[in-house]
Amino acid sequence: MSQGSTPLMSRITTSLLALALVGVAACGATLPPPELVDARKAYDHASKGLAAQLAPAQLDTAKQALDKAEKSFEDHGVDQPTPDLAYIAERKAELAEATAGKAAAERDAEGADKKFKNAQLEGLDKTTAELNKERQNSEKTKAELEQEKKALDQEKAARVEAEKRAASAMASLQEIAKVKEEARGMVITLSGSVLFATAKYELLPIARDKLDEVAKALIDQGFKSIIVEGHTDSRGKASDNDTLSLRRADSVRSYLVSRGIPSDKITSQGLGSSRPVADNGTADGRANNRRVEIVVSPIK
Amino acid sequence: MLRKLALRMILVGLPVASAACGGAAVPQETLTAAQASVKGAEVGGANEDPKAQLHLKLANEQIDKAKKLIEDGDNEEAARVIDRAQADADLALALAQQAKALRDAKEADESLGKLKRKLSQ
Repeated sequence: MSQGSTPLMSRITTSLLALALVGVAACGATLPPPELVDARKAYDHASKGLAAQLAPAQLDTAKQALDKAEKSFEDHGVDQPTPDLAYIAERKAELAEATAGKAAAERDAEGADKKFKNAQLEGLDKTTAELNKERQNSEKTKAELEQEKKALDQEKAARVEAEKRAASAMASLQEIAKVKEEARGMVITLSGSVLFATAKYELLPIARDKLDEVAKALIDQGFKSIIVEGHTDSRGKASDNDTLSLRRADSVRSYLVSRGIPSDKITSQGLGSSRPVADNGTADGRANNRRVEIVVSPIK
Repeated sequence: MLRKLALRMILVGLPVASAACGGAAVPQETLTAAQASVKGAEVGGANEDPKAQLHLKLANEQIDKAKKLIEDGDNEEAARVIDRAQADADLALALAQQAKALRDAKEADESLGKLKRKLSQ
């Protein structure tokens, strides 16, 4: 039996050896299954990306799975379990990448949240600063309003006081002179006989007292401008009368200026006998015509 | 003589082969774990992201396939299919979580942009 089977066994052995050699040759040339190609690519991609830094444990697991698939490929070629192991390795590599992507996104979100909170705080600071500024402004406005009110009150009180003074001044004026309201202003008429000696233009002592009163009343009452007009009766030469009336007006003006009336607000003119107020035919009439009129333009 | 040898080999080999197939235990534990992972991926929002949804679908299909293989007694093949299902379920969850993190990051960035615009007004 052993003798008879020897050639057959030898042939089988030879065939098996040949088959094995073919197998080995085929194995050496065998291309990896597509699953393994994909797994290698996936791992390569993952290991070069964020996974190495953000998901090292998952990347290591993927490496181990790939190694297992590679080993299976060495041992079993394209047959199972190589494709299944490669399939798993590819997913583990993708999982490592997804885990890294998640970590990166969380890091980004955290950064944005932090910036959001900082911006909110900055906004809050800004709002607080604005509110403080507004409050300060409103306090300032309040203070200003109070000041304005105070000023108005003071002004009102001053006006009341001035009116009072003006009324009082008017009353005292009316005691010493004739006062009347005309279109050209308030006209204070002083009799010439009270102010001057005949044909003279120097003020009499009593005239000074009266003009002191007038000056005081004018200053108290306030005015815009003053015109001092000198008038005479119709006796004598007109030119003499004009000169005399002007000199008398000047005398009154100068005296009033010396009593505090601003010189730029007071003028004088001599009108002679051109504007009589009474009959020059009678002594009384002439006496009335000899006069000085102080025309006061009021403050409007 | 050779025919007898071949017959003997077949007679001896068959039970060995069937023992090898039927011998592997039912991979119940890994099946349960894979099913749990599928549930976890679903809860984790895998259905809301197309790529995650694809892997969830693959996991489900492979679980069904594994169950059928177990019914047919091919536990070894079932175990491998379950491993694939597990890998797909895990990936589905990771992709869903990544997608959610990306959405959150985008939202945070948009909120920041809105706030900045509002503050600069």
